[in-house]
Amino acid sequence: MSVYRWLDERLDLDRLNKKFMRKAFPVHHSFFLGEIALFSFIVLVLTGIFLTLNFEPSSRLVEYRGEKLPAAYASVLYIDSLPFGKVIRSAHHWAANIMVASVFLHLLRILLTGAYKRPREINWILGLLLLGLTVVLAFIGYALPFDAYAVTATQIGYGIAKSIPYLGDWLAQLMFGGEFPSLRSLPRLYALHVLWLPLLLAALIGLHLLIMIKQKHTQPRYAEEVAPGKVLGVPMVPMQATMMGILFLLYLGSLFLLAGALIAHPVEVYGPPGTSTPVLKPEWYFLWLYGLLQMIPSSWQIPLPGGAAITSEFIGGVLIPGLLGLVALLLPFLDTRRTKMRYLELPSQHPMRTSVTVGLLFFFFVATFAGWKEEFGMTNAQLWAMLVFIPLGAWLATYVLIRQIWGKEG
Amino acid sequence: MADKTVTNRRAVLQASLGAGLGLAALSSLFVVGGLKPKKEITPESEPPKEGDRFVIAEGPDKGKLITLDALPLGGPFVLAWPKDPNTGVVKSGERNNLAMIIRFQPDEYDEETRENTDQGVAVYSAICTHLGCTVSQWLADQKAFLCPCHKGIYDPRRGARVIGGPPPRPLPMLPVKVENGEVVAAGGFLSPVGVAWRRSGAPRV
Repeated sequence: MSVYRWLDERLDLDRLNKKFMRKAFPVHHSFFLGEIALFSFIVLVLTGIFLTLNFEPSSRLVEYRGEKLPAAYASVLYIDSLPFGKVIRSAHHWAANIMVASVFLHLLRILLTGAYKRPREINWILGLLLLGLTVVLAFIGYALPFDAYAVTATQIGYGIAKSIPYLGDWLAQLMFGGEFPSLRSLPRLYALHVLWLPLLLAALIGLHLLIMIKQKHTQPRYAEEVAPGKVLGVPMVPMQATMMGILFLLYLGSLFLLAGALIAHPVEVYGPPGTSTPVLKPEWYFLWLYGLLQMIPSSWQIPLPGGAAITSEFIGGVLIPGLLGLVALLLPFLDTRRTKMRYLELPSQHPMRTSVTVGLLFFFFVATFAGWKEEFGMTNAQLWAMLVFIPLGAWLATYVLIRQIWGKEG
Repeated sequence: MADKTVTNRRAVLQASLGAGLGLAALSSLFVVGGLKPKKEITPESEPPKEGDRFVIAEGPDKGKLITLDALPLGGPFVLAWPKDPNTGVVKSGERNNLAMIIRFQPDEYDEETRENTDQGVAVYSAICTHLGCTVSQWLADQKAFLCPCHKGIYDPRRGARVIGGPPPRPLPMLPVKVENGEVVAAGGFLSPVGVAWRRSGAPRV
């Protein structure tokens, strides 16, 4: 206690306590998705520190156990040989997967409950940027082990960047340190992956949280019934903090159990990069793009002035995800209804928004399914029919079902 | 009088702030210019040119000079790096130099393609025009190149035009001649290699 008093005299802890530590946190299970994303980031930083201490960001060939291997690849083999090295690297991989998933689910929660609306536009946009950064960081993380899988996947990313009309060559070289793969690529990708983008991510997370504290959560429905117009919740310290602590430990335990049981991405299975292309599929969160890229035929080409063209790879790799992102960014400015600004909206009472979201999810599902085009022996015509009609059908069916069960928009 | 001084002071402050910002912005262009790495060309990364030979790029015979009798008639193709015969340098320092060498009967090619072949030998870039993977598979039944990344298929007997999948352009061709049984480049690649947002001539249909 005397330590507390000593610090309080100097730092006015009581004021901090009243202002921040007693912040009321509404309790709702779906509110933990953002926290899981935050835990993932923390674990990624901690496991990442271990990895940076042993990783060598270079594609120069070195002698390792009697073989000529890229230095990065050899250093990953070395990391795997350290005590728990494999498990820590595997945890880094799985935490990245969980982070992408939880950020996306967090976004869905916000979308379905209308929490993106005025006055929370800024945090919605910050959230989208955080999703984008998370995916970019995960993608760059692909490249670092520099095995055959890493090099092929990164080549495709380089190709997508390069396909942007007029700016392509310049942007791709800026991001990948010249043409990929070159000796300058790994140092640049490494710096982006371990320093600059995580710093940016941390700064944006801080801003995201500060704005959330300032604007307060949208209140769950029960709050509207129990104490209308009041902020209802448990104080951040000690109750919310205890719940967070328990959840974090559960997260940590489950993550390392998973990481130890399923060792992720063993580089020696893919081998060092060679001249031939290994047959591979990207991570699940890129499968929808992979599916789209296979579906868009070579004939989809729009000539532009100056000898440029919008090509099939630009449409699949940049245009479609870019348009989806743009619509998402504009959403709070399109949906300007000023109802329920303090409270969560029930998905059942917003049949149009909910059904469009379900339709969009089915678009992702079908595009992901198209990633198995070969295995299922599907033709492009079949896949295109599915991609158009299944999401439309899901949209209509959801809309009709919600209206039938819960009645009119309210 | 006093008001005027304040106005003048403000104007001076604004002008100097503007000039400072402008200069800072201008000087940042140097930084942006330095972010794009320079392309350093070494003998190993020079593009293929007339007179270059070819060596096998992978497998047990890696590095062996490619001759007519090393190429099976009707496929599959052989992945190859160009090699400068004067210096003996294998140009494997630049991925875009990777080539596929294939051999058919001369009359199996269409006329336009045949011009750039010799004794049935044709050389194509191995870098997919879709997203830059190595086109490394051979479809024996269709006698076609397959890029395993997004299943682009190219027909080597008709200028590597796209016969399946998403690639936007045919694979660039490299004209060849056969001298003393050796496959020799008669020039560089005829169109830009790999991914490009530029239209490289009209795709052949």
